[in-house]
Amino acid sequence: MSRSRVVIGVIGDDIHIVGNRIMQLALEESGFSVYNLRTRNRPERFAQAALEVNAHAVFVSSLNGEGEYWCSDFRKHFSDVGLNNILLYVGGNIVVGKRRQEEVIALFKGFGFDRVYHQLSDIRVAITQLEEDLKHGQAKREGEAAGN
Amino acid sequence: MAKPSAKARLQGIERYREQVLSQPLAKGISPDEVRHYLAKLPQGRYPTVAYGKPRSGPLIQPRGGFPLFEAQHRLTRELDAAGADFIPLTIDSYTRHNQYDTAEQLLRRSENEGKNYLNGYPLVSHGYALTRELYSGLNKPVSLRHGTPDARLLVEVAIASGIVEIEGGGICYCFPYSEGFPLDRSLLYWQYVDRLCAVNSTEEAPIHRESFGPLSATLVPPAIVVAIQVIEALLAAEQGVRSFAVSFGQTGSVIQDIATAHILKTLTREYLRMFGFESMQTYLVYHQWMGRFPPERAKAAALIAGSSVIASIISADKIVVKTVDEALGIPDSWINADAVDTVMYMCRTFPCPQPLTSPLIEREIALIESETKSILETIFSMPGDIFWHSVFQAFQLGFVDIPFSPHADNANKLISMRDSNGSIRICDRGNVPICDEDAEQEGVLLQSRLNSNKDSEPTYKRLLSDINIMV
Repeated sequence: MSRSRVVIGVIGDDIHIVGNRIMQLALEESGFSVYNLRTRNRPERFAQAALEVNAHAVFVSSLNGEGEYWCSDFRKHFSDVGLNNILLYVGGNIVVGKRRQEEVIALFKGFGFDRVYHQLSDIRVAITQLEEDLKHGQAKREGEAAGN
Repeated sequence: MAKPSAKARLQGIERYREQVLSQPLAKGISPDEVRHYLAKLPQGRYPTVAYGKPRSGPLIQPRGGFPLFEAQHRLTRELDAAGADFIPLTIDSYTRHNQYDTAEQLLRRSENEGKNYLNGYPLVSHGYALTRELYSGLNKPVSLRHGTPDARLLVEVAIASGIVEIEGGGICYCFPYSEGFPLDRSLLYWQYVDRLCAVNSTEEAPIHRESFGPLSATLVPPAIVVAIQVIEALLAAEQGVRSFAVSFGQTGSVIQDIATAHILKTLTREYLRMFGFESMQTYLVYHQWMGRFPPERAKAAALIAGSSVIASIISADKIVVKTVDEALGIPDSWINADAVDTVMYMCRTFPCPQPLTSPLIEREIALIESETKSILETIFSMPGDIFWHSVFQAFQLGFVDIPFSPHADNANKLISMRDSNGSIRICDRGNVPICDEDAEQEGVLLQSRLNSNKDSEPTYKRLLSDINIMV
């Protein structure tokens, strides 16, 4: 069975690399093929990369809180290039200032993300959920068949 | 054989300078007027004079930069009064990336609204005439702290302002600070900076250069740090720099700090001598913990105190200090002055007249020395006869590999972790040319930790706990 492909990267002008590198190692250790866009990425870049490698999922991260600004039309960039079924995840420190978890999750789900991890302490949680979602998750999005 | 040589000295710097200084932002800097100004600068403004005075412990340098002139002026006075030996001038990140228009706009906005829209002092926007006023009456060296791959204009303005300690280097201000600035260009632009420092130097009053050894400050093995420090000392020496400080950041292991300090000093001298640059003065600078800081002020204060003792033990010539607000953001100037006071108190209370040693330290010294020499000898034996170009290629090939560098050209093949005493061990050497015996010894030392407890933990979890060791 070929390995699932995941595109990861930090969005905006954020140059915080440590979490990104850890994320890469953690995903690779869990058996994923990782395509790492590293730091300073615009949303379009994630969509282009996902198209190029035929990715199953995209993990966007932000530490300096720029996430809210850059992510507001995030899923549209993917549907624009025909990627309607791709799983989208976002995590890190994705908004500026102290905001309620439920509020942040609702905000980013509204932007089209499947899962939102704001200030999550263990990446393992996200990876386990990604594995679950890839097993039978994509059909959960209403009206769409699982891709790939 | 690409060996460092004075033949690599940048020719025709005068005409090159004319080009750099012809841009409007240089605000009419005249090389002759600058030389004249530097000759009149108080002796105490030169780092070699500060380093040359008898002292019982390390000299102290805080960090700090505010966008507004008045705030920077106040910070300077307060740090001077608190007893800082070096006065910092930290530059904002737009200026660091040559985005002078944005820096200018945000400076005006900061002035109009009385709020800080920049994370440092926009030196190019303020210009040299105003910045000279910042330091009138000051008899201590001012240190330029930035992170700029292309610092040609910035350093012209700094030197014209009477700032004669210039931190940085083609590697250490590119790979840890930029995700895409081409390394070859950075190395060439830093040749300009080094040459500029050299041509503005006299024997008694040299413009001092300092490299930035902490790099990504995240699990960087000492051999990588020492190799890069030696390379940058050699690159500066090629351009005629007379006074240079090598530096490193607190590793998280007292044993490794002592060993790194010793071997960094020794190898810097050894390689300068080897290539005919023994006349260059060298100093050792120690950075207090550059990784993630504890958010609790009491713990942060304890960490600052502890690393001051280490600076004393390793006989650092200078210590660059953190504050109790490190985890929270840019500190107020009184918090910064407090940090200077704490470090001064600790260094005075715990002097260490002789270097400490032990079998563990000796073993660590031998290992770092052997690894560093393997890396450097590999670079020196690369084909071609242009040293900086071999250095550039060494990064392309992953011979030098900085863990957690944000730069797109970093190899990212080397993986490092901590052993049972907290020392940074190379767990996978990637393409870094250290010999099999050294790689094996790193593995054996690492095993001491793995067998002890967290054997079954995945790599990323071990890395996270190793990175966050002080939190």
